[in-house]
Amino acid sequence: MMNSNFSVELLLLGVIWPLLLTLMLTFRKGRTLTQHLLPWAALPALLASLLVTPSDVHWDFSGVLLGSALGLDATGQVFLLLSTLLWTVAGVYAYAYFPQSAQRSRFYAFFMLAMAGNFALIVAQDLPSFYFGFTLMSFAAYGLVVFKGDVVALRAGRVYIVLVVVGELMLFVALLLAVQATDATTFNAVRIALVDADNRDWVIFLAFVGFGIKVGVIGLHVWLPLAHSVAPTPASAVLSGVMLKAGVLGWLRLLPIGGIALPEWGSVMIVLGGISAIYGVVIGLTQRNPKTLLAYSSISQMGIITLFVGVGMLAPQAWSIILPSIAFYALHHGLSKGALFLGVGILGDSRRRQRRWVWFGLCLPALALAAAPWTSGMFAKNLVNSATLYASAPWSAFLPVLLSTSAVATALLMARFLYLTRPAAKPFGLVPVTGLVWPWVVLLLAVLLAPWWLESSLAEQAGKLQMIKSLWPILLALLVTVMVLKMNLFHSLIPVPAGDILVLVERCFKPLYSMARKELGILYFCRQILQRYAFLMSRRVQNVMASILTSEKTFTLWSRAIYFVVTIVLGISAMAFLVGF
Amino acid sequence: MNWNDWLPLLLIACSLVPGLIIFGLAEQRVRLRTTLNLSGSVINLLLVAWMLWGVYHGQHFETRLPLLPGLDLVLRAGPLSLLFVTLSAVLWLLTTIYAIGYLEGSPHRSRFFGFFSLCVSATIGVAMSGNLITFLLFYELLTLATYPLIVHRGTEVARHAGKIYLRYTLIGGGLLMFATVWLYTLTGSLEFTPQGFLHALGDEHRPALVMIFILFIAGFGVKAALIPLHGWLPLAMIAPAPVSALLHAVAVVKAGAFGIVRVVYDVFGINFATDLGVTAPLAWLAAFTILYASMRALYQDDLKRRLAFSTISQVSYITLGIAIAGPIAAIGGVVHLVHQGLMKITLFFCAGNLAETLGIHKISEMDGVGQRMPWTMAAFTIGVFGMIGAPPTAGFITKWYLGMGALEAGQSWVIWVLAGSSLLNAAYFLPILHRVWFRKPPKHWPEEHDFGRQETSWMLLLPPIITAFLALGAGLVAAAAFSPLAWAKLIAEREFY
Repeated sequence: MMNSNFSVELLLLGVIWPLLLTLMLTFRKGRTLTQHLLPWAALPALLASLLVTPSDVHWDFSGVLLGSALGLDATGQVFLLLSTLLWTVAGVYAYAYFPQSAQRSRFYAFFMLAMAGNFALIVAQDLPSFYFGFTLMSFAAYGLVVFKGDVVALRAGRVYIVLVVVGELMLFVALLLAVQATDATTFNAVRIALVDADNRDWVIFLAFVGFGIKVGVIGLHVWLPLAHSVAPTPASAVLSGVMLKAGVLGWLRLLPIGGIALPEWGSVMIVLGGISAIYGVVIGLTQRNPKTLLAYSSISQMGIITLFVGVGMLAPQAWSIILPSIAFYALHHGLSKGALFLGVGILGDSRRRQRRWVWFGLCLPALALAAAPWTSGMFAKNLVNSATLYASAPWSAFLPVLLSTSAVATALLMARFLYLTRPAAKPFGLVPVTGLVWPWVVLLLAVLLAPWWLESSLAEQAGKLQMIKSLWPILLALLVTVMVLKMNLFHSLIPVPAGDILVLVERCFKPLYSMARKELGILYFCRQILQRYAFLMSRRVQNVMASILTSEKTFTLWSRAIYFVVTIVLGISAMAFLVGF
Repeated sequence: MNWNDWLPLLLIACSLVPGLIIFGLAEQRVRLRTTLNLSGSVINLLLVAWMLWGVYHGQHFETRLPLLPGLDLVLRAGPLSLLFVTLSAVLWLLTTIYAIGYLEGSPHRSRFFGFFSLCVSATIGVAMSGNLITFLLFYELLTLATYPLIVHRGTEVARHAGKIYLRYTLIGGGLLMFATVWLYTLTGSLEFTPQGFLHALGDEHRPALVMIFILFIAGFGVKAALIPLHGWLPLAMIAPAPVSALLHAVAVVKAGAFGIVRVVYDVFGINFATDLGVTAPLAWLAAFTILYASMRALYQDDLKRRLAFSTISQVSYITLGIAIAGPIAAIGGVVHLVHQGLMKITLFFCAGNLAETLGIHKISEMDGVGQRMPWTMAAFTIGVFGMIGAPPTAGFITKWYLGMGALEAGQSWVIWVLAGSSLLNAAYFLPILHRVWFRKPPKHWPEEHDFGRQETSWMLLLPPIITAFLALGAGLVAAAAFSPLAWAKLIAEREFY
């Protein structure tokens, strides 16, 4: 369909274009032109995701980094489509979100760097390039998290950056160990070599935690609700919609799933994913800030994906079906969550009529997440359900129950969300102006059309519509919500502070920390005494040395002295030379 | 008699001659001095390029002058020498431009530039020395030439720093002299030889050789700032910024590290050294230095002081790469000679810009400085990410090779040291970046100088931008044919194994 040379150029352009625009932002000349180009930073990559035919071929750039490889496989294409769509929409949205040009430029600088990193990691087919994209995205996103600059944002940023650095280092070690198993650095080669490498479990552990931080696996999720609620809305949309998926893609690319059964690791991932799925909803239900609620919903949804990957580890024979299913689930969640975030950002109008339209719009992605019939959510859920059939004995009984619970819970959470954003509630975010509304509407359309993106091989499996089966969680949730509303129970819910366990941990560690400080103080004191002693001892030596070094006083003589010495050396060597011949 | 026999000497003359002339120049003759300096370094660069091409194609460049009976003054341009020479030549040019801008209007510039050139000559001499005695000669000359640069300001603090510096380095030099003489009595040869020249010695000499190795490490460790011999380095940051930049990136610290490389590979030979059992303790010492110095850096508020501790830590990467004793780690160590130079000189240039433009010396004063000096701080940011080892900077390539080398040599503990060091680097560098880019600038800077529309003088701005670009490029195209990494591979192939 497409000339392969052109494909690779388009992919490359997709990554380079946002970087180029960032560079252009720094020049005063042509700034107006640059400003107009800003919303379209993701466009070349979007084109690439639509035009490039996915294949397992990759193109080598042997001089770049440690030898790079670019390419777009089927999984990569789904991730690239999701990312580029969301980045484009959020990019257009951000233009109207920041009417002031100075603030806008500042926002876009970080936004586009993170974007470039995100695209790079998707098209990278080798570990170092992937790591480069991942690093660029993670560090640039710090600028988005702390963008507001208030105390809350700074705290969120601090938590975020610490986890980013820890994750980066774990990944660094993981990549080293993985590459050591083979000589090549491409993912395909590494995955195969990892199947029976000595360090396999280390690599899996480090990659699980390193990417798990990004994914927001329970225990590693603490940065997520803090950062997503405090970042500017277009940034929250991409953070929650696509940047979390980078971690998932990392797992899919690096871990040797499919080549070998990894029952222990699979169980770990299923358990942790299941806990995340429920825990995210439970804490999310108590929230009053809709953005924090959405962040917890992301934790819950990413828990399902984690569980999904875990099933793949248990059942390598089904990996060829599970892998595209995971990709589709990521696509579904990314689009819906992005649409929810962008919608929340435009609830600022105090007129109910206006707000009602936005609210109706919000219902669509909310229903999709709750897996209502004919939404992408239903297909995604069906895919998960059919994947559980492949799981081995204890799980095959337990997973359906868990998934049903999770479905009801998610539906409840969405009901809570729609209640919080209801037209009668307090205005939230910005007044919907055209520049904010139309990108959002485009995204809503994408949510609507997402099921058509499903691979034909999966469509049949995913499309089994069982009205009752897919409706009952929603109906149940609706019932509960109505009851809760009638009994006026929502107000008695006390919100769990965003960051949940982090707050606990901080409280526990504070006394320890201050104790540690005191201990350090004692060490410092000891050192001072020692230094004092050493100083007195060295005094005597110093006196002797000082008399030798008196030439310092006639400091200008130094140049002459060296001049003299060098001249003599040169002279002697010249003479020696002459004699030598 | 061949043209190639003279090139190494000519290379040294390129910086030595302008230096000697400058000593005699009057203070006001700025233009002549600048012309001399710049033409010297440009010619130097051209010669280096010529020699790089030659060595790549297998030519030999060697100057041999009789010094004492049986001992020659040998200058030889092998791949390893040229790596260091190229670094010196490129950074000399940039630092000269920077120093001209930095010292504009300050006193004693003739003296400064004279010693500056001398310092570069000595460094190039160290790089090209073909035997130990030549090496020591230039190594001592380097000590003498840098001392006046450190005390250049003439203040009490500067002189104190100078005194400590001399005390450390002269004692270190003494140890080296002693070790060299001892070695000479054992072998009768001091010529640097690929794979070393000591393995032929009988077993009865092993204890002596271990002692000699320790003496060498102690001697070179002073300049390479191995803990506990690092005490002079944080004090020496009192020198003017261009001096600190050159000291930390090329001249002094690197000369020490280079000395360790020479001793391990060309005197002892890596296999023999491993056999003697001296490389493992060296690796531990280097690892300890890396972590300890990073811990110390955490607690410094003075920007240059923090950078100084960072240097101590980073230079030990080179030693670590050598001491792991495997070909891949050696590539990582040797290439860090260049990488650390590029990254650290960027950081020092930027620190100098802050001091010279806004009067900022402390990290606590750096709030919001990114808005006032975006280009400088962009360069600084690249340097910082290089230090942390984030891709695609040069620092990442180093860490990758050190890590792979450690795994290959079966010493996986090293990767935890690398990760820990990255963590500490992030801990003491990222808060600076946070201040720079995300805090609000104060109403008044401590001591602001006006440079019109530009954030600072172009002579101060250009060098850090170029070095930051190089530090980025060295990582980004590391696998290309003419990157520092490719050259380091060539070195490992031709000289080490």
